[in-house]
Amino acid sequence: MAEEYPFEISPMFEGERIRKDGMFVELSGPKSKGYELVRATPMDEIEDGKFTLIGPDLSEMEEGSRYPFAMIYKIAGELVEEDLESIVERRNHDFQNYIQGLMHLNQRYDVWIRVSKDAVGKGLTSFEPIAQAVMMLFKNELPFIEKVEAVYVTDLAEIEKEMDNVKAIYKSRDDRTRDLHDEDVDTFYGCSLCQSFAPSNVCVITPDRISLCGAINWFDGRAAAKVDPEGPQFAIPKGDVVDAESGEYSGVNEIAKSLSSGEYDRIKLHSFFEYPHTSCGCFEVVGFYIPEVDGIGWVDRDYAGTAPNGLPFSTMAGQTGGGKQVAGFLGVGINYFRSPKFIQSDGGWDRVVWMPKHLKDRVLSDIPADIADKVATEEDAPDLDSLRSFLTDKGHPIVERWEAEEEPEAEEEVQEEATFAAPAMMQAAMPMQGMPMMMPPSSGTGGVKIILKNAKVSIDKVIIQKKE
Amino acid sequence: MTKVIAITGKGGTGKTAITSLLIRHLTRTDKLVLAIDADPDTNLPETLGCETVKTVGDMKQFMQDERDNFPPDINKQSIFESKIYEILEEMSNYDLIVMGRPEGSGCYCYVNNLLRGIMDKVVKNYDVVILDTEAGLEHFSRKIIRDVDDLIVVTDGSRRGLRTAERIRELTEELETNIRNIYVVANKVTDANKEEIERTAKDLDLELIGTVPMDSMIAERDLKGLPLFDLPDESVAVQEVGKIAEKLGL
Repeated sequence: MAEEYPFEISPMFEGERIRKDGMFVELSGPKSKGYELVRATPMDEIEDGKFTLIGPDLSEMEEGSRYPFAMIYKIAGELVEEDLESIVERRNHDFQNYIQGLMHLNQRYDVWIRVSKDAVGKGLTSFEPIAQAVMMLFKNELPFIEKVEAVYVTDLAEIEKEMDNVKAIYKSRDDRTRDLHDEDVDTFYGCSLCQSFAPSNVCVITPDRISLCGAINWFDGRAAAKVDPEGPQFAIPKGDVVDAESGEYSGVNEIAKSLSSGEYDRIKLHSFFEYPHTSCGCFEVVGFYIPEVDGIGWVDRDYAGTAPNGLPFSTMAGQTGGGKQVAGFLGVGINYFRSPKFIQSDGGWDRVVWMPKHLKDRVLSDIPADIADKVATEEDAPDLDSLRSFLTDKGHPIVERWEAEEEPEAEEEVQEEATFAAPAMMQAAMPMQGMPMMMPPSSGTGGVKIILKNAKVSIDKVIIQKKE
Repeated sequence: MTKVIAITGKGGTGKTAITSLLIRHLTRTDKLVLAIDADPDTNLPETLGCETVKTVGDMKQFMQDERDNFPPDINKQSIFESKIYEILEEMSNYDLIVMGRPEGSGCYCYVNNLLRGIMDKVVKNYDVVILDTEAGLEHFSRKIIRDVDDLIVVTDGSRRGLRTAERIRELTEELETNIRNIYVVANKVTDANKEEIERTAKDLDLELIGTVPMDSMIAERDLKGLPLFDLPDESVAVQEVGKIAEKLGL
């Protein structure tokens, strides 16, 4: 195929850098304008293989200069649909980099291209062979494309004229992409980057759950796993749905077992209290159960003060981190607050009672409108008493839970002495009261006796399990 | 094949001066050089006479700050790669990357992982990569640069300086970066301490591949804040660094 084009085409030229000294022209890039766009087009509106150039061609360009540059590819085929546009568009980057003497960086309206002097010296005088080579590669590598037509633009006015339309196309694509949920895919992704310091950490990344560090979303996982399936991000087949509400999947449970070396065998992706996701140490925000109000508070890494329970981020992060599954504490990435499945198994936003103000402001538009002003910040409630009155004043939905629990609790309250088998959950939920209920190492003689005097205890759920 | 040379040493020994002179030497050959300033106390650009503002650290921060604003399915590696190319300073005979500021709070595992992939690709475009790095070798521990052919520890005439070299050698054994050879270059050497340095190096089993003499031209330029990059060929330091380059097979 090399004979048809005045350049070599091979994946080995990927990563070839064209320096300023060696470049004939720079196209688009940080100091100019341009874009790349693939459009699914009806079959009869495309003339297969046609190339149109609007503006000056390579031969009319001045050596060492910079020009605006846009590339539009119209594609058609029985299987071609709008949702494929961005995948096809992404390949323009690969294919242009296969061309010796061409460097293509970035994407969309940030594309940045350089053509080398060497390439021009070897006879590349027009954009046409570049467009023809890319169209050939599109059809060879993506066989669902039956017809393709290319339009390149080097005329600034024409690019500027179209820019708003192009951005609107990207935006509508992004809106569709954001609408992808756990139930729409059959593969989740895992990440093992944190395992060096949190060996039992099982990081599961789904469309509705960003990684705890906030850096890796489902699409990043997919992109990385495709390039290097054995790398730090890898595919997790979702398996069967065990429980959609709490986000339990057989595939996730299996990977939990192997990644944690048998430490955990169940993970519910959208649960706070029962088999929650493990917490690495990288998490941006830690959630904590506040037993006094039966609600959940969240505190982020950048908040220097203490939460209403009297603890700062660092202390709670220390108790939670290291790859542990701790009911009553949960590390999350900030973007998880934007998830429609946000701790849905435990009441979602209706269960959230406190966040630092800057964190709340950051995610405000994603908090359901009816609850937004009922979530307290450090300005409203620095401690538990003020938190309780704030929630009461605002009529936070959590108050109904108190009322519902009031009656049966009244009886217990009068008891002088109550005996409990220490539930694993209380250990996590109550350390803030200065009552560390640590379980002694099991000696096989059966548990521990804890005596609470004059205590008012409200427990949403007690889970007692035999340790396997 | 790209040859990767890292230059390290305790502060004040003149490792940045030696780095600039090595780059100066290489740009006078036909080799394409990538200089990386991996010392958080950035001063390689200044000694090279080049002004850079943006650093890899700035771009890492950009990736952290903007990550929720990117289109959801955008390829972050490709954005980051473009950002690294934006801050890559293109000089007439070499390119320069400044690592810059340390990381902020939060987790940089993912960004560093992307950076590793990008650097692997970038490095392949050059004949020689010269890294100016602090004695703690932090960038090595993050494996941003995975393989180093020669690690040169620059030391002054003091026994303490040579001890640092010994410690760095021990440190490298614990790192996951592959380092093929470790050499020592003594800087600011005088007739009075030359023999003593050679003897100490031998005692500590360190391979001394050069002794750069005190150079009044360097002292003068340092004082005036002038770059060392355009020192004349007559400079005694320039001549000694030329010999070191030869020993390194450059």
